[in-house]
Amino acid sequence: MRDAYILGAGQSAFGSFPERTYLSLFDDAFDATMDSVDGELSPDEIDEAFLGTLGVGGRQIGLSGPAVTEHLGLHGVPTTRVENACAASGYAFRQAVTAVRSGMADVALAGGYEVMTDASSDHTRWWLGVSGETEWERMSGTTFAGVYAQMASAHMEAYETTTEDLSRVAVKNHGNGAQNPKAHLGFECSLEDAVSAPAVADPLNLYHCCPTTDGASAVLVVSEDVAREYGDALVRVAGAGASSGRVGLFQRESLTSIPASVRAGEDAYEEAGIGPEELDFAEVHDCFAIAELLAYEDLGFCERGEAGRLLREGVTDPDGELPTNTSGGLKSKGHPIGATGTGQVVEAFKQLRGEAYVQVDDPRYGLTHNVGGSGGGVTVHVFEREEVEA
Amino acid sequence: MRGIVAGSAYVPRFRLESEKVEAAWGTNHASGVEEKAVPAADEDALTMAIAAARRVLEDAALDRATLETVAVATTTPPLEEGDLVPQLVRALDLPADVASVTATQHAAAGAEALSSALDADGPVLVVAADCPEGEPADADHAMGAGAAAFVIDDDPAVTIRDVAWHNDHTPGVRFRERGERDVGSLDITTYERTALREAVTETASALEVDLEGVGAAAVHQPDGGLPYRITGDIPVSGEAVAAGTVADRIGDAGAATVPIGLLAALAEAEDDATLGVFLGGGTAAALACEGSLPVSGLEDLEDGKSLEYATYLRERGYVVDGEVAGGGANVSLPNWRRSLEQRYRLVAGECPECGGVTFPPKGACQECHARVEFEPVEASRTGTTRAVTVIGQGGAPPEFAELQQRDGAYAVAIVELEAGDGTVTLPAQLTDVDPESVAVGDAVRPTIRKIYTQEGVPRYGAKFEPAE
Repeated sequence: MRDAYILGAGQSAFGSFPERTYLSLFDDAFDATMDSVDGELSPDEIDEAFLGTLGVGGRQIGLSGPAVTEHLGLHGVPTTRVENACAASGYAFRQAVTAVRSGMADVALAGGYEVMTDASSDHTRWWLGVSGETEWERMSGTTFAGVYAQMASAHMEAYETTTEDLSRVAVKNHGNGAQNPKAHLGFECSLEDAVSAPAVADPLNLYHCCPTTDGASAVLVVSEDVAREYGDALVRVAGAGASSGRVGLFQRESLTSIPASVRAGEDAYEEAGIGPEELDFAEVHDCFAIAELLAYEDLGFCERGEAGRLLREGVTDPDGELPTNTSGGLKSKGHPIGATGTGQVVEAFKQLRGEAYVQVDDPRYGLTHNVGGSGGGVTVHVFEREEVEA
Repeated sequence: MRGIVAGSAYVPRFRLESEKVEAAWGTNHASGVEEKAVPAADEDALTMAIAAARRVLEDAALDRATLETVAVATTTPPLEEGDLVPQLVRALDLPADVASVTATQHAAAGAEALSSALDADGPVLVVAADCPEGEPADADHAMGAGAAAFVIDDDPAVTIRDVAWHNDHTPGVRFRERGERDVGSLDITTYERTALREAVTETASALEVDLEGVGAAAVHQPDGGLPYRITGDIPVSGEAVAAGTVADRIGDAGAATVPIGLLAALAEAEDDATLGVFLGGGTAAALACEGSLPVSGLEDLEDGKSLEYATYLRERGYVVDGEVAGGGANVSLPNWRRSLEQRYRLVAGECPECGGVTFPPKGACQECHARVEFEPVEASRTGTTRAVTVIGQGGAPPEFAELQQRDGAYAVAIVELEAGDGTVTLPAQLTDVDPESVAVGDAVRPTIRKIYTQEGVPRYGAKFEPAE
């Protein structure tokens, strides 16, 4: 099996653009991706495309992937639309990696898109619930925030995690996002702001929840030959892990962990031949503040129950040992559902090339972690910067 | 002789004091009602019937498979036409081959249901459950809610010695137009009261019982004062009427008021006869009972959580538009029906390979992930919350928006229950509890409530309430 590399990655601005279409947003992401390529790669070189979206609002439920590539002028390129809720483009990226590693494609486009802010609030609330387990979880009247809030309640009970711990995720990620011109909520917030925000689903408040966002992101996954031909720096996909879990929280083996994250992380580390201690940065799925804490524990950044301490001690701050969500994360950069997974890869690509807005000092390994729903599908990828011999 | 083997009452926990009605409207049309029972937004005649019936079936220690007939009385069936007895059968795991009786159409429906049970053979479950509504400015003032359940059989604790009927057309006394929810009356005061008094006199006098010796009488009680006024022509004492009157505490619970009053009287009865006098439109019936029996659920009559008037209007749905905006979760009715054993009775599946328990018992075993034929096991009826959240006002999914507008913020938990040799967890809404008071580790028990109505069809299932 050959290696896959990232040749380019880019995103549209993330934000509230109710007048935009998913097609035009993806145009922006694609242009940014092509601009990020060092050499002159022609779009005609793209062999295959994998595009992720939930399709919030019900727009173009069928064939939205081909609609995007044809709109872009990638005429005739075989395009697969991937749906795995919030992990749609994490999985689209995985498919692109698989296509390149297998030799089927030399240049594969992975990406995602979502438009979420152009519908009535009732309509939006309906759509936000579609990735929960529909027969029982949703019938209990809960929401997406409610399910994560349930996990938070269990974590707080088991490990004495506090509202302040949850709020530190918002403070840190907003601090990072404020440096990111493409972030949806690019402002800083204080711990006091974050602790005292109005409740959304107890114990989660407004600052513990990511926004609904419009946006698109894209990544060019290529073979080593293509990477060397067109790239000045080599960003290798060192490890690819993914796992499924029960869609409903109530059927999982743990309420204080996302078991699919644990399995996906183990696979990605094993393939990369490293452990979490060798990571230089991470982009983790912080749709709700508790999700970032669970990610720390599930991905081995710390022991069970220690996530709150990591935040208190600043370990995941930009100047800490393991800077996490330097892009602003879903909390501040925004969470256009289908665009989030490849959006995380955009940040990893920038970090490893030294081009991030909140740049980590000379990183070698980075990780992205993308969760679908409340844990029904997870992808974890480890990236490595390789030195190019002159 | 046949009669009452067991009896139970159920009254919703909310109360509205008449002084609040008076403060709101500057007048109060609920004579003799101090406070009334208010059904929660997720309660209706069916859920109250299930609650009362569950109690009486436990008290009667009856083998449910031996039930021959199920008779339900209500003027407020959730659907004007549609299943009622069959829903009780599914919810309570009763035999599908019971004869079914549904008495509705007037407030004396309880008499019809009890009478049909006396005429039947074998054990009969009789339930009267009702929650009438009226114009908030006036008829609503007295409208309450409640349910009474009976097991009628041979060799009873309370013998029903005699039943007398009287039918005379009395137009305009108490009626509801087709398609309307408000019970009305033309309020022709003397005409009405005379008609009711004559019906009481005709039926009670026809009983083979010495009325002067009656110890207690549950008499038609659309408010707390009328039963005294319409018994003026029979020699039954005011104390006897008081012993059978519950409308002063729960208001007018339609077809359920006299049955609840009768059970309250029977719980206290000694050697004297106890009367039940049912009036509904022009239909009147009286029955004479002898004996006494313990009645569960009567504590509901005395206990309640007081509501403010504005909250009351919301809770009852008088000021909320029930349209589901944006559509509900897409669980088809055929699929829903297939899961009724889980929704009503929490039937989980035990894996024959590893002994693990899976809920719902579909797909692969949650423990060993093998695809097996599960052995059905009913989960325990008390459980523990393992994770909780509160969905605040305005934050509910659209299909729960109406419930939330009416009942306010609600808690949703992951509840752990014992089942077989293992445990199962399921997501469930909590009801009849202050959501802010709910915590991880609370003891809870299931109660059947309305989930929501979609495409005109109300769907019911287990919610959880605090376990004492």
